[in-house]
Amino acid sequence: MKKPLLSLVNLNKYFGDFHVLRDISFDIEKGEFLTLLGPSGCGKTTLLRCISGLESIDSGDILLNGESIKDLAPNRRNVNTVFQNYALFPHLNVYDNICYGPRVKRTLTEEQLKEKVREALDLVQMSGYENRMPHQLSGGQRQRIAIARALINQPDILLLDEPLGALDLRLRKHMQAELLQLQKVTGTTFVYVTHDQDEALNMSDRIVVINQGEVQQLGTPLDIYNNPKNLFVAEFIGDRNILEVDVLEWAEGSAKVGLGSQVVQIGNGRHQLYAGERAVLAVHKDKMRISCTPVPNALVTEALSIHYAGSQIRIELAVVHETEAGRERITVILYQQGDCECRPGDTVWVSWDADGAVLLPLEPGWQGRVLV
Amino acid sequence: MKALRQNALAIPILIWFGLLVGIPLVYVVVVSFLSRDDLGNIVWQFTLDNYRRILDPVYLRVFVNSFMLAFLTGLVTLLIGYPVAYITSKLDPKRRSLAIGLIILPFWISSLLRTYGWVILLGNWGIINNVLMALGLVDQPLQMMYRFGTTLVGTAYMLIPFMIIAVYNSVDKLDKSLLEASYDLGASKRQTFLRVVLPLTIPGIAGGFTLVFIPALGLYFISDLLGGGQTVFLGNLIHTLVNRGRNRPLAAAFSVGMIVMVILVVSIYSRLTKNQKEGLLL
Repeated sequence: MKKPLLSLVNLNKYFGDFHVLRDISFDIEKGEFLTLLGPSGCGKTTLLRCISGLESIDSGDILLNGESIKDLAPNRRNVNTVFQNYALFPHLNVYDNICYGPRVKRTLTEEQLKEKVREALDLVQMSGYENRMPHQLSGGQRQRIAIARALINQPDILLLDEPLGALDLRLRKHMQAELLQLQKVTGTTFVYVTHDQDEALNMSDRIVVINQGEVQQLGTPLDIYNNPKNLFVAEFIGDRNILEVDVLEWAEGSAKVGLGSQVVQIGNGRHQLYAGERAVLAVHKDKMRISCTPVPNALVTEALSIHYAGSQIRIELAVVHETEAGRERITVILYQQGDCECRPGDTVWVSWDADGAVLLPLEPGWQGRVLV
Repeated sequence: MKALRQNALAIPILIWFGLLVGIPLVYVVVVSFLSRDDLGNIVWQFTLDNYRRILDPVYLRVFVNSFMLAFLTGLVTLLIGYPVAYITSKLDPKRRSLAIGLIILPFWISSLLRTYGWVILLGNWGIINNVLMALGLVDQPLQMMYRFGTTLVGTAYMLIPFMIIAVYNSVDKLDKSLLEASYDLGASKRQTFLRVVLPLTIPGIAGGFTLVFIPALGLYFISDLLGGGQTVFLGNLIHTLVNRGRNRPLAAAFSVGMIVMVILVVSIYSRLTKNQKEGLLL
């Protein structure tokens, strides 16, 4: 079997009494684009700093090419970081910034360096900027220099800590494409930290979803988007309606759930559930359909409001119950007006694509119910 | 009218500066071109004689002495103060406040008294000699007082807090992620210090040096008490000329010479920091 490039083994990290990273274990393959995704404060940046060596770990191990690097100082690890604020040396020009690594490690002669820097600048499309000082560059340009400065060291892994966080939306989209291109051209393994799910879904080969210091799910973007492993991932990735339901029947492949007096049949994935349990039904807002006439396997709802927002139509609905109390809110996003043009107050039947819904165990203390 | 109203708040400061800095300065410059009578009174008669006299090799020597003292004081305080400031900035917040408090504490005691403290420590019958003799390490008291070095030690001691605070401020302002980037790129701690920390704290070093150099030119009581007048410095000379020599015009000419030296140092300082500022303001 192929050996992983980097293995994290039961890694734990505390800041004082605060357990920042809990038993983190996963492998990173050579050449992949792996994203650590999670809300701010979840420990993803700390994990990145543990890999680079800027933070020590309290227990567990980090193996690079099969050898433990957990006790190596950051300057002895063949990984490089692109910092969130770029951290270019303000007293050095672009050329000297890029040369910093090879010079301190004395790996290249000045003659070889010239060639290498030229290549590195070429790669990030910044040729001709050798003599500029960092403060003379724009955010995107600094970003590129920071990447060139890291890549010239030919690291086993390039660690990127929310590198696009400080850029405006348009530049961010542009840099996403450029980073991907760069990763493919150089074949370097990228470990990328972000809290932006779009960025993660767009760019990654695999995503590690982290919350409160724990790995929630590891998988391809498609897998994570369509098959969330738990409620946190379902709420964090994508934009879903999440409804608390009663499990009425459960069998491999299909289940019957009740929402108040309404009953629907759904396909289901990986979670073993039992009849009589409470569970949550999570459905992508843009994988729902509405109909003005009754359709099978749909929820009966009342239209509350309709919003036109550019390319999409957002419709707010309330599930109809026999009693008025606690009507769940459902939002449907349509990309084109169907044949059902409803008005507020109309009765509307809501159904969904089979792959848009998942049934998940209810977690104790969950407070995510959205009522009207 | 509008401009006047906008700048109205600055007027008290301008008057203050005018009264306390401007007028005395003009007075010194004017007096340096005047003569005196036998009783030491100033006579309103223009002369360049005072400036001719300060170019006398005997007096030039005094300029050299003062420059050497001030320069070496700057160097000594830098060599001792930099590590102190660097270590202080790395302490946890509680200890850092304590350390800064201790560095500033001596200012609460009269500098004259503190200088006498050195006499008690270094004198022929002072503490150090007593201990050394009691231990039988020396037969005769070591002659530590009344040397150039003694004045240097006293002056450096008096002014080192300025250096420490100036360097501390610039070390403390350093973006920590630059140090992390340096380690990350493969640099050792020593390389990081030489290639990142030191160049980026040059403004602090230059500022500290200026803050130490300028008063070191004029602290005459230290060289009086610890140097015993063995080496003559500008401060002593001016003091003597005014109080005993009754030659205020000549004293004024020396003062102008000293001011020129100060302006020189300050202009070097501003040039050193100007180049840096652009890069630091990212």
